[in-house]
Order: sequence, then structure tokens, then C-alpha cells
Amino acid sequence: MTTTAPPGTGPRTGPDTRRADGPRRTRRQRSLSAPGSGLVFVLPFLLLFVLFLVWPVVQGLWMSFTDSSLTLRDTAFVGFDNYAEAFGDPDVWSSLGNTVFFTVVSSVPLVLIALAMALLVHSGIAGQWAWRLAFFAPYLLPVTVVTLIWSWLYQPDLGFANQLLDALGMEPVGWLSDESVAMWAIAALTVWWTAGFNFLLYLAALQSLPTTFDEAAALDGAGAWRRLWSITLPQLRRTTGLVAMLQILASLKVFDQIYILTKGGPNSSTRPILEYVYDVGFTGYRLGYASAVSYLFFALVIIVSLVQLRLFRQED
Amino acid sequence: MSATATPLSPRRPRETAGSPLLLGHGRLPRVLAGTALVVLAAVWLLPFVWAIVTSVQSEQDVSKPGLSPFKGAFTLDAYRQILDRGNVPVWAFNSLLIAGLVTLITVAVSTLAAYGFSRGTFRGRRALLAVTVAAIMVPPQLLIVPLFKQMLLFDLVDTYAAVILPQVVAPMMVFILKRFFDGIPRELEEAARIDGASEFRVFWSVILPLSRPIVAAVAIFVFIGAWNNFMWPFIVTNDSDLMTLPVGLATVRDSHGVQYVPGMASALLAALPLIVVFLFFQRRIVNSVATTGLGGS
Amino acid sequence: MTARSPVPAPPPASAAVSGFSRRRLLGAGLAGAGTLLAAGSLSGCASPAAASGSSALSVWDLFQGGDGLLMDDMIKAVSEEGRGFDVDRTILDWGPSYYTKLAMSAAGGRASDVAVLHLSRLAGYAPGGLLDPFDLDTLAEFGVTEKDFTAAVWARTQHDGTVYAIPLDVHPFIVFYDKDTADKAGLLDSSGELASMGSPEAMLDAGKALAEASGHAGIVFGHVNDTAQNWRLFCALYAQTGAAFTLPDGGPPEMDVDAAIRVVSFLQQLFDGRTNPNNLDYYAGLTMFSSGRGGMAMLGEWELPTLKKAGFPLGAAPFPQVFGRPAVYADSHSFVLPHQDDPDPARRREAHRYVAEMVKQSLTWASAGHIPAYQPVLAKPEYAALKPQSSYADAGKVAVLDPPNWFTGAASSFQIRMCQPLQSALLGDTTAEKAVRQMVREADTLLKQPNPVA
Repeated sequence: MTTTAPPGTGPRTGPDTRRADGPRRTRRQRSLSAPGSGLVFVLPFLLLFVLFLVWPVVQGLWMSFTDSSLTLRDTAFVGFDNYAEAFGDPDVWSSLGNTVFFTVVSSVPLVLIALAMALLVHSGIAGQWAWRLAFFAPYLLPVTVVTLIWSWLYQPDLGFANQLLDALGMEPVGWLSDESVAMWAIAALTVWWTAGFNFLLYLAALQSLPTTFDEAAALDGAGAWRRLWSITLPQLRRTTGLVAMLQILASLKVFDQIYILTKGGPNSSTRPILEYVYDVGFTGYRLGYASAVSYLFFALVIIVSLVQLRLFRQED
Repeated sequence: MSATATPLSPRRPRETAGSPLLLGHGRLPRVLAGTALVVLAAVWLLPFVWAIVTSVQSEQDVSKPGLSPFKGAFTLDAYRQILDRGNVPVWAFNSLLIAGLVTLITVAVSTLAAYGFSRGTFRGRRALLAVTVAAIMVPPQLLIVPLFKQMLLFDLVDTYAAVILPQVVAPMMVFILKRFFDGIPRELEEAARIDGASEFRVFWSVILPLSRPIVAAVAIFVFIGAWNNFMWPFIVTNDSDLMTLPVGLATVRDSHGVQYVPGMASALLAALPLIVVFLFFQRRIVNSVATTGLGGS
Repeated sequence: MTARSPVPAPPPASAAVSGFSRRRLLGAGLAGAGTLLAAGSLSGCASPAAASGSSALSVWDLFQGGDGLLMDDMIKAVSEEGRGFDVDRTILDWGPSYYTKLAMSAAGGRASDVAVLHLSRLAGYAPGGLLDPFDLDTLAEFGVTEKDFTAAVWARTQHDGTVYAIPLDVHPFIVFYDKDTADKAGLLDSSGELASMGSPEAMLDAGKALAEASGHAGIVFGHVNDTAQNWRLFCALYAQTGAAFTLPDGGPPEMDVDAAIRVVSFLQQLFDGRTNPNNLDYYAGLTMFSSGRGGMAMLGEWELPTLKKAGFPLGAAPFPQVFGRPAVYADSHSFVLPHQDDPDPARRREAHRYVAEMVKQSLTWASAGHIPAYQPVLAKPEYAALKPQSSYADAGKVAVLDPPNWFTGAASSFQIRMCQPLQSALLGDTTAEKAVRQMVREADTLLKQPNPVA
């Protein structure tokens, strides 16, 4: 595993990339030296890429300018009507708002708790194998397993959460039925489910950190707390950037657990933008309009990515 | 106080044991950290425990109020009931078949493409690579509407092909593999080429064997991603017999209505395969996260 | 998840399957996989059903709980009789998710052979080509014809004069009452049934008398945050005024605003928060009535199995006539043939036979409270003996369904949008007039959306 590129170092490092661009070195060899060589290796991928990525991207854009329907009737070009409607559609804005809210309340703990897990496990306390299993196992569960287990924990009368409140002498909470609570409940479940992945990213980064600074500081008599703040955490900055970026992009795409648990309810308070796309496109048959809403969402994803890349670059 | 031996991976190398430096030599930080770790792990394991304990009781017993998880006699009826009905095994088979084929096709297509991008000299290579890398930005969820329309056009809705094909396009994996191939010294291939090996042979006998860890990492993540994928299979399958585990469990219901005990039992049965895989391949999976730096699609 | 209808909308959980489904297990799966691998192209594999050439009839429905088990019984009955059927039943969640899957499977052309559809949703399915028509001659061969259904219901089974749905039941929104309390309040006629009311004042008085007799509330109605209850109540009373509510594509909706205001004002008077509570949600209303703290409840008949356990003599009646003419809000579970690109004629014929046999089994279905749509079953003495079901059987003759359009019907966003202003009016947060104007605006918004079906 010596070739392992630590995640914290991002795409720039890892094996040297410049070499690939020196085809001269293989000039004397047969196939790959000829112009056009190597294309055949790329072709299968290219075919699938064009069919199942490029085509739908283009088709989706085209559909967003039509009144395309799930039913079997004809489609007509409608210009910017769908976009005009989307900008004036309060449900687009409220579901975008829900998406952003979920992204904030899930991403922050997903980064911080994963960091805490990794630091604690990395501290070398006995039972490495068991800790890693405990924290990472939920990430391996299909979403439905997660929602089945949590819908039982959140069950209003008999679920663990309300039984616990009851034992503490508190009022039961409508975890998934109270508008002001539901999104938090879903964020909590998401943290449980996916923190393990970020934990592993952090753990891998910690294990590849040089220990020299740490050792030197320890010799100088710096305490554990002090060294954590002034040495380890700063060393993890790039990793944190990467983890946060991946996490924000993942959270923006939330759909599965919300759709299964609440279908966006109560009263649309948990409906994310992707569910709105599903609702208008498939439940409401309006594929054209749903495409337009998807592209608005895509614009948001691109903007967020670019902003993050920008911040990431500046950090260097 | 360094690495502790674990029952399943006795050959675990030292580097995973963590750095004792982090806690210093004081007793207090060690106790605090240990306590925090135990509490955190307990919280993380609690849902599993609650689910397991629920699944081995009867629906009536579970319906009694109280915080104690044990409310009645032990029984495996729920598991028997689920296996008798037969849906869960069908979905598990579908999941295995679909995730297996997605992994196989993705790995084959992506390694070939990565090799082509890494060693090829064909015209437009850079442009194609740039488009591929740019495509990493496209969230697959964006494509559900046009992809569904496309499947209608190809008359593929409710087929395995419709579930599998859109999942095998993984620009991220191509990029990760290409970066790795770029780092393999060319000297190793030269010898084979001089011996007259075909380009495919160089790829197959020289590059691939050197790339085992990264290919394994990619395969593991593609598999986990496909096994757990919900949205696309949910959208493109309506026939219960074609559904994957996550989709079937979320969609198809029982004439009895909601029952929590069989619910927990089926959840645990569905969770089992990957947990077992993890127990056996823990180190490889942990490393693959580090290697690729990314999760499934 | 407050939507509540024939089947209690269950929280998510629980795995699945009927006892009858003959699992075409791994073999079929392998066949599909083999086809995929062999073809290796887009022409790909068909669904296992087609691949195995199985004769099992695939049927879809949304019945769980009591209804789900009765459906099991009925399928079992038709499967065992005579030539029988091999039925592969799939149950999906009640509500929008069921209808989405139904539409998507029909658009995909590999839908189930038979599915259940609320008749109120036909306008969202038939015009778009998502359903295939029934062949009435084939149905007649199996003993089911137009004259076996009431005109009010049969009229809604068609689109452009073609029949797309065969009703299994009519499930009206009715009143349940505690016979002792109603007797004490002097509301029963000589035969011991609820006497007719005939005017808004009579109903207001009935509420007061019931409140006095029960010592708690008079008429209970749970509606807060519900996605259908207010609409059901409004729709019945509005139809009783004789006014029409039509939804022409592109808008504006045609509604008699004065009549609608009259209805909403009456409801505000009725649910004054003293005699009759105005702030109950569905379950609170149900519990209040079933625990004897209310004399009468406005509910769907599907609550009958729950209420029978209440421990007092339970009466039921069609929704009382308060305005000029009798009308009861209802819907109907009906059988449809989801669109298949390439239906096998023999299979289609079997589907017709199955539907015919199932509607003949609807006496079983009636035990859950539903009124069989198939009139020969209603005429049976066994049905007359079912109490209190037979007390409200006449509701089927004056059934009013949602105004037809692609976005209306059971579990639709239209019903939710209609409920919200009505809820505000009942809670006293807005006036009757403002609520009605809001309803018109909401309907207009929906009508302004391009119709994706027509």
C-alpha cells in the first residue's frame, strides 16, 4: 500500500502527472506512438459516457424548454416558460431553502463529529478494530435499512427516543411529524449514517501526518491539548477542506432518507429540491418543468463547487 | 499500549495503531479520551442493538411501553416469516446481481479508459479527458428525469439493463485510475513492448498487476455505491421482482400494514451482507477510502 | 402523513409480500440476467414475468391493515374457485407514492395486469394513455355489465365514452353516531335510525342536543393538518346546495362563490368550539368519538372496523341532507388495466375475468364498511343483514366525487390546497369569504399549469 495517496493532499499530489504528457518517451513503440493510438481503450467508456451522461445532460436541458410529459402525449417547445414558472414558484424556493437548511445542520456535525472520532481513535486507545467497525458500519447500510431502524427509534408511542424522554419525565416529541423538529431528526439520522466515511478520511489523513513537529513540541513540554490546537488541527486543514467540500456537495443532493421517512412532510417542511423534482416530474407528470427545476439546482451545485474550489485554492 | 491484537486481522500493521503522542503521558487526557470514545461508540451502536433486540421478540411484546428493550420472550418468528415470504431473498439476489455487474462493467470500462487516457496519444485526448473530469461535477441525481425519458425511449423501464447501465459511467473512477497509472514508471512497460507485446497485453500483464490496490479500492467503492444506490433503481423499477433490497424494502408493503418486528428483522437481514464483507476486508476498505479519497458515486 | 382514507396511512416500515404471490424466484432472475448478458446491448432483458412466460396475474393495490387482509381473503376466494387464478399481489404505500409508481409503470409499458385506482383519479390517467380500456363484451361474458352499477358511479368510469375502470366499492364520507346518545337527544326516527335533518338549523340544533346528551361534545370532526377531511365535508355540502364546481383547463375555475360562502359560514357556525370542537386533528376526533365523548362523528365509512370496538351501540347514516338536495362525498376503489405496450390477449382476457370475479366477491369487502359497487351483491340478504353498513348503502346513489381534472382526486395536492383555507376558516383565522376566494385562487393556480395529460 505504499502507493496510497493520502486524501488530505488532494488531487494535486499523488503519483506524478507530468509524465503522462511525455509521449515522446514511447515514440519508438508500436501502437501507442501512432496518432490515434489508445483511442480504442477509451471507446467503451466513451460510448457509455455519451449515452448515459452526455445525452441525458443535453436531453435534460432540451426538455427544460418543452412541456414534456410522463404520459404518452406529444411534446411542444415552450421557450423559457418553465424557467419563468420556476422562478415564481414558491415551492421551488421553499424546497431549495429546506435543502440548504439540511446541508448546514447536517454538514457541520458530520465534519466535527467525524474529526472527533478520528482524533480519539488515532490516540491509540486499545480496540482500534472495534472502534472503526462501530463508527463505519452504519455507512455500509442501504438507506432503507437506516430509515427502517430510525423510524422505529422515532416511533411516537413505543420508539426509543420518546421512551427515553418519558423515562426522564419529559413530554414526547413528534420526531417526524412536528414541522419544527422533523428536519433536525433527519439530520441526526444522517449524521449517524454517514459520519463513518468522513471519519475514515480523517483517520487516513492523521495516519499519514508527519510526527516530527508533534514530537518536537512534546519535547518542549507542550501539553496534549495545546499540541492538538497548534499542530495537529492546522496540519489537517486541507483534509478538512476536502471533507467539508465533499460533505456539502453530498448533503445538497439529499433525497433518499427524506423521501422514505417523511415524503417531504409534515406540510412540505422537509421536502428537498430533489424531491420537488421527483414530485413535479413523476407524481405530477411534468417532466419538462422538472428538468427546468433540476437545472436550477445544477446551477446551485456548480456555484457552490466553484466557491469551494476558490476557497480551497486560496488556502494554499 | 501500541497496537492491540484483534481477532480478525492479526496481521494488522503497526501504523494503524495511532499515535500515542496525541495524548501525551498524562493519565487524565487518556481517561477523558477513553470515556469520550466509549460514549460515542455506544451512541453509534445503540440503534443496532435496539433493532436487534426488537427483531427477536413478538409484535405484541414489543408494543408494551417501557424503556427496557427486553419486553418478552425470545423468538425468531419474524426472520422465519420474512424468509418464508420470499421477497427479501429475491431482492437480495437482485442487489447482488446488479451491484456485481455494475462493479464488473465499471471496473473494466474505467481501467481501460484510464489506461487509454494515461498512455494514449490519440487526437482529442486532452479535450476528452477535460470533459470527463468536468463530468465529475454532474450530480447523477440531476439526470433522473432525462434518463427516465431515455429509458422510455429505449423501452427499458423495468429491466435490469435500465438499472445497471446508467450506473456504470463513473468519470471519477476513470480520473482516479488515470492518476494512478500516470505514476507507474514507463520503464516497466518498455521491456514488454520491446518483446513485442501488444498494447492490451501491456495493460493486462504489466499495468493491471501493479495497480491491484487501486483497482480493488475502486471496485469496493463502486460495489458499495451500487449496493446502496436508492434513487435511480427506485425510479426505474416498478416490478417488485426486479427491485433491489433498498428499493423493495422501501416500496413494497405487507397486507398486515406496519409491523415493527418484521421491519427490524428485514432491515438486519439486508444489513448483514456488507457488514460481513466489512469484517473480512476491513483493512482493505479502510485503505481504499484513503487511496481514492472518495466514496462511491 | 395525516392523509387518511380507506386505509390508515401507515408510517414507513415493514417488509412485504402477499401469501399468494408465487415468487418466480431466482430462476426468473437468472433468465433476466442471462438475457442481459447474452444480448449485451440495449435490447436488453424483459421483466422476469415476461421472461418466464408465467401465467401469474400481477395485481397492484394500496390496501394494508384491515382492508389488506380482506383483499387477501378475496384473492384467495377467487383463486380457489373453479378455474381459479394464480395471483401475484404487490402492495404499495397508500397515497401519492402509489399513484406515482402506477403512472411510471404504465408509461414504461410493463405495468401490472390489474391495478386498483381511486375513481376520482381517473382523469389523471385515462386521457394520458396510462390506462387501457376494458372490453365490455368480455366483461359481460363473465357476468359484469353497466346495469350492475349505479349511474352516479358508472358515469365516472369513462373518458370520451370509453370505460377504463370497474368499481369495486363506493366509500362515502358519512356520519357515525352513538345510538344511545342520539336517542336521548331525540334524533332517531321510529325505526331507530337517524332521522333526516333537512336544514342547516336542524343540524345546528342536533349538535346542541347531542352535546347535552353526551355531556361533552355534540358533533366531532377532526381536520387540523389533515389532507382531505375538510375537502370531503365541504364538497358534500357544496353539492347539496345544487351548485357546480368545474375545472376547465387554463382556468378560471367555475364555482358558485355565494353558495360556497354559505357552506363555509355554516361550518363555522356548526364547529363553534363550544358545542362542537373546531380544533381537533384526525386522530383526536376519532379518539374523542370512540371514547364516548361525542355524540356523532363525521368520518369515512372505512373507520367502521375501528369504531365497532368502541363499546357503545354504533349507528351510521349517509351524510345528512342539510341544503336543497341530497349529496354525499365519496370515492370508489376501482380496478383498472394499466397500459401495457404489448398486451398478451389471453392474459388480458384473464384480467377481465379476474376483475369480474373480484367485484362479485365484494360482500367480503363490505365487512370493512365499504359499499359494494356491484349492485347484485347489495341486493343479497346477507348484505341487508350487515349492520350498520346497510344503513348507509343509499349513499352510493347520490355520490359526489372530486371535480374531474388531472390534478384532482384522492391523495392529490388539489385536496391539500383546498383543505388549507377551509382549516383556517374553521379555526377562526379567516372569514368564510376569504377562505372561499383562496380556494378559487388555489384552483386557478393549478389550472394555469399546462395540462400534462390532455
